[in-house]
Amino acid sequence: MWPLAHGIGGRSDLPVPLWLAQYGGAAALVVSFVVLVAFWQLPRFDDPDGGRPLPVRLQRVVDAPGTRLLLRLIGLAMGAAIVVVAVLGPPSPGANPAPTWLYVWFWVGLVPASLLLGPVWRALNPLRTLTMVISRFAGDRDAELARPLPPGLGYWPAVAGLLAFVWLELVYRDAALPITVAWFLLAYGAVNLFAGALYGPKWHDRCDAFEVYSTLIGHLAPFGRRSDGRLVLRNPLRGLSSIDQAPGLVAVVCTLLGSTAFDGLTRTQLWTRLTLTTGPLANALIGTAGLLAMVALIYGVYTAAVRASSRYLPRSQRQHREQLEARFVVSLLPIAVGYTTAHYFSLFLFQGQAGYILASDPFAAGWNLFGTADWRIAYTLISTATIALVQVAAIVTGHVLGVVVAHDRAVGIFSGKAKTDAQYPLLVVMVTYTTIGIALLVGA
Amino acid sequence: MPALRRWAAVAVLTAVAALTVAACGDNGSSQATGTTTTSTSATTSTTVAATTTAKPATTADTTPVIQIRVVGGKPQGGVRRERVKLGEAVVLRVVADVADEVHVHSYDRKADVAPGKPAEIRFTADIPGVFEVELEQRRQKLLELEVR
Repeated sequence: MWPLAHGIGGRSDLPVPLWLAQYGGAAALVVSFVVLVAFWQLPRFDDPDGGRPLPVRLQRVVDAPGTRLLLRLIGLAMGAAIVVVAVLGPPSPGANPAPTWLYVWFWVGLVPASLLLGPVWRALNPLRTLTMVISRFAGDRDAELARPLPPGLGYWPAVAGLLAFVWLELVYRDAALPITVAWFLLAYGAVNLFAGALYGPKWHDRCDAFEVYSTLIGHLAPFGRRSDGRLVLRNPLRGLSSIDQAPGLVAVVCTLLGSTAFDGLTRTQLWTRLTLTTGPLANALIGTAGLLAMVALIYGVYTAAVRASSRYLPRSQRQHREQLEARFVVSLLPIAVGYTTAHYFSLFLFQGQAGYILASDPFAAGWNLFGTADWRIAYTLISTATIALVQVAAIVTGHVLGVVVAHDRAVGIFSGKAKTDAQYPLLVVMVTYTTIGIALLVGA
Repeated sequence: MPALRRWAAVAVLTAVAALTVAACGDNGSSQATGTTTTSTSATTSTTVAATTTAKPATTADTTPVIQIRVVGGKPQGGVRRERVKLGEAVVLRVVADVADEVHVHSYDRKADVAPGKPAEIRFTADIPGVFEVELEQRRQKLLELEVR
């Protein structure tokens, strides 16, 4: 079941064949142990300054003030377009492109865009742009007089923002209505603009949920910046070592993983049976509880594993468990991206088409702006076998990269025999996540 | 002084947001009611046309019919999953004790249903995947159609 089914994305994928799932799971297991006893005993990906510099000319274009301004204007135009269409367009999600733009183009599309190019939303984010404009109007261009962020705040506002969004998307039954999209965007925009006005543009670094999401995934991009600002082509795993660690980082990653797992859970027939006889309010409560439980489960299992690993630290360092959690959590990021790809790849491909089909006549006024108004979604773009293969491949690849990153972290933190031993708890966690992920695909 | 202007900016934002929300709330509700009525009337007319034309008595005997009985707005016996071969003809028959609209997602087939007036939807299952059949107004899932 796709919870946005009411007019948007009423198709879901066929269950993945059992044999394919078994091969995928077995491959994941084998690779895990190969990595464990592996080749390298010294960290390879912990140097954020590696990589091959890109041509200076390219860098000049990318960093040119004109380019930056253009990106900001594009972002503002995108933001304005979706709000205007959501408010003034037709009220049905089957006729109004705004829900597809938000849930499919933006939310799902942010993943491949960031994975390929880096923190794209930082450059486009219209809320950041408006915050910058506000600072300038306040006569405080460099935001020197903005308040400092409270030290313990870290990523927590982003966690709240992400939870609010995934709740809306996956639990709220009117999620797909354009009016819901309008309310959400206005509320989200208002909160972030207020905070931005008080704290300056730095608010958006760690507290603006969508920018945090894009920036985190952007660390896995093949393009990155060295600490001196130079653009480089690099091993994507290297980027993970430069993630800005702050309180709440673990919660951000666990929210992403947990919400995707919850989405998988709601597509199972078990869930359908559970929510059959209950009313809308009860369903909302069950959904909320389910979503929070999935996030808590992912979080609990992860922190328990890190606690177990921390026993391999010398006694004097054990109080740094929270740091350890934050250092290892980046290894869950490839897993989260794998989960997301497996769940939303076909939605992006199919329902994504509605984004430009409906864009031709966003106000139901009989227009045909782009000549696409009478197109229909081509559901045969790729075969169901390809979809199943991509799903399993995404989860297994995410798992393998996660294990590799965790190994690399472990050999940098622990010493001697503990290098291997300390990896077991996290390895168990990853195998568990992957098994759950694959099981949800089979049970779909 | 600039700190003061920062607060001024916040105040201005509050005012703007309050106004937008007020304006948007009005707009949304009036629009929503306006179009619901038009869309229901539009679908009624189209479904009437669809059911009358798409009923050649010759094929009706050979295609198996998927029956769904709705009691109290819920599908009797729970939400089943029906498997259908790609390319096969499908006939859905919904008997309900409530008035609503039956919707086959993605195939985008709709038909009105009411007590004593069963809905019948016929189409060729030419898109692979899992699709929901729903009571549109109640957002109640009736059936999962697995086409492969």
